[in-house]
Amino acid sequence: MFLRLVFESFRRQKRRKSVALLAIALGMSIATAMIAVGTDVGDKMTLELRKTSANLVLTPVEDTLDVNLGGISLKPASEGAYIPEADLLKLKSIFWGHNILGFAPFLSDPQNFTAHGKSFQSELIGTYFAQPLRYGTDEFSTGVRSINGSWKVEGEWPQDYAEWPKDRAPDVLVGSRLAREQHMSIGDEIVVAGKAFRVSGILNAGGPEDRAIVAPLHIVQTILKQPGLVRRVTVSALTKPEDSFARRDPNKMSLSMRDRWYCSPYANSIAFQIHEALPGVRVDQIRQVEQNQGKVLARISGLMLLLTIAALIASALAISAAMAATILERRHEVGLMKSLGASNTTVASLFLTEAGLLATAGAAAGFVAGSLLAQRIGQSIFGSPIAVNAAVLPIIVSSALLVTFVGSAGAVRKAMQFDPAVVLRGDA
Amino acid sequence: VSRQRLFFRLVMKDAWVRKDRAITALLSVAVVAAMATVALTIYYDLEVKMSREFRSFGANVVVSKHNGSLTADELTKMDAVVGSKGDVVPVGYAIATMPSGQKIVIGGANLDKLLELNSWWSLTVRDKSGALIGTRANDIIPAGPLRLSFAGVSEQIAPGTVIHSGSEDDDRIYISRESLFKWTGVQPNTALVRMDGRPQEIQNAINQLRSSLPQLDVEPVRQITQTQTAVLGRTRSIVLAASIVVVVLIMLCMVATFTSSVLERRKDFAVMKALGASNRAVNLLFASESVLLALAGGIAGFIVGTGVAYWIGKVNFEAAIPPQFNLLPPVLLGSIVLALLAAMAPIRMLQRIQPAQILRGE
Repeated sequence: MFLRLVFESFRRQKRRKSVALLAIALGMSIATAMIAVGTDVGDKMTLELRKTSANLVLTPVEDTLDVNLGGISLKPASEGAYIPEADLLKLKSIFWGHNILGFAPFLSDPQNFTAHGKSFQSELIGTYFAQPLRYGTDEFSTGVRSINGSWKVEGEWPQDYAEWPKDRAPDVLVGSRLAREQHMSIGDEIVVAGKAFRVSGILNAGGPEDRAIVAPLHIVQTILKQPGLVRRVTVSALTKPEDSFARRDPNKMSLSMRDRWYCSPYANSIAFQIHEALPGVRVDQIRQVEQNQGKVLARISGLMLLLTIAALIASALAISAAMAATILERRHEVGLMKSLGASNTTVASLFLTEAGLLATAGAAAGFVAGSLLAQRIGQSIFGSPIAVNAAVLPIIVSSALLVTFVGSAGAVRKAMQFDPAVVLRGDA
Repeated sequence: VSRQRLFFRLVMKDAWVRKDRAITALLSVAVVAAMATVALTIYYDLEVKMSREFRSFGANVVVSKHNGSLTADELTKMDAVVGSKGDVVPVGYAIATMPSGQKIVIGGANLDKLLELNSWWSLTVRDKSGALIGTRANDIIPAGPLRLSFAGVSEQIAPGTVIHSGSEDDDRIYISRESLFKWTGVQPNTALVRMDGRPQEIQNAINQLRSSLPQLDVEPVRQITQTQTAVLGRTRSIVLAASIVVVVLIMLCMVATFTSSVLERRKDFAVMKALGASNRAVNLLFASESVLLALAGGIAGFIVGTGVAYWIGKVNFEAAIPPQFNLLPPVLLGSIVLALLAAMAPIRMLQRIQPAQILRGE
């Protein structure tokens, strides 16, 4: 009998039920999409920022000081210590190896160049552009093209030669200021230490590299006679913004706390792990990037969180209003049921069962629609879809149930308070 | 009873007698208006609020002179452009020699301003009055006072604070501008400039600097300016996309509720028609009810929404997001249009049916 009442109520009141269902589904798709976007926006932004700049820098421990002014290094290449290039793959072996998005080694020295028969002095920088590498079964490529997003090249990026090419002069980039001052353009030939380069592109880096010549690392190693060595490595690592826990001194932590610290991707714990893997290397955070981006990201995540809360409350209210509206119109039914002898409990359970069915169906539909929305938002803004965690589904279903029950309860109680006779007469 | 009074009474009575119905309709309009107000108010102020966060990134423009040092006139011109919306810190550099024969870069600047500009530096303070020593330099120099020489003139430097920056400043020592000048005769040839504002405003200021100081190099620190542009752009689009989704969906929800509550009143409608009301009179009655509800709901929603946006600003940006009163007319207008659409569609439908049929319950 009870089931039949519920069934018939759905069959005969299709319009009312579909309004309620629509409202729940809409509200829950808001909730799903906002929860997904709000929880993922921090990660997506971090990834986006990591493409524009590295956040860790590696230098040899026993190094002499860099004497660097206006982008020109005044330290002789023969002085100081180096990092073996082969060791860099160990970066991938650390606990948070997957968070190492990329790295770019650097080796540089001022050199005398000749172009168009004129000679000039400039910094020669060797680095990876998009060097293919292999760590275990993991094949990837890394270099300035992926971690220095602010570098813009007009023309072609050079390739990363493994050794000096036999048949042609290796390609290099010329900084935009240097190119302007020396009237160089794409295709020109530059001679350094008796060897010829071909300019394949003009580099606009917005930094001291604009006055330098940037060449593939192995070519520069050959010219500087430092095979297999680099002076500096910048690393782009996905990190968790520093919080008060990260600021504590790891040496003073208890064992369990230290484990927690070690297993959190803070910039300083990743730096510590890199130092463990490469003991001859000093790891510093590029604090201007690391510290400030953390702050900005915290603001964005906070904003999205608050907006999500506001949207959740709004959709809860909207659903409650819709539920209340559909139930309020059913006083006559309540009056009829009560005059036929139904108890308050029976009436309430009938309405709540209906609400529960609506909530479950609406939540499922809303979850699907919300996931699609989140995916589209992610795709259009970050170029990669925002995935909705399956753990969100039970939250959505239970909050749909809660909201519909709360929304219906008031209206059902109100409907039951009236004397059935008064309601049926139409006086209420 | 005059026609107007009767009409007014009908509108009022209807809202009063069926209070819960009026309240649910009002609530659903208010929720839409509030959410739209929150989203628009935040979106409106977002660029300004987020740009403030980029102050802490420090210098975003570097002005340098290739030959010679910056003149007082050039510094005044820079100050004139930057004004109160930023900071200018002139720095001079010299290369000194340590007793070991190693070379080191010495910078001369107003140290307090330099520290303020580079607020992200992590500091290990030993002596507030001493020099700022880069962390890598600190690892290499011998303990105690440091004797450096420049062009044969030697100078003793008292290490004060160790700075950790992760940039080339880690290899440098900073002393006050006056001490550097007294020792080496070197005057600032570089100015680190922090320009506050939105990306467009910063670009304008750079152009202004370039045109008023044509003989100097004015270069934006691309990493910083580009990060700002990227972050602001993405944040604006994500807030906009999320707001559109929320507001549109919640609007649909409201329209459904509203339409349904009008449809539930088909009996009222039929009785009115049966008593001889014209289509126009009925339309007017339902429309004015909807407009009244939408106005009340819209105003309530605007107030609540402004409050929520203010609170979000306080909590998240530590600065309130001020009410945007210019949003009130569009929010009210939007509420009214929506309510009218939601109410009039079902009325149009009902008008095609004979009142008798409705009253019979078919």
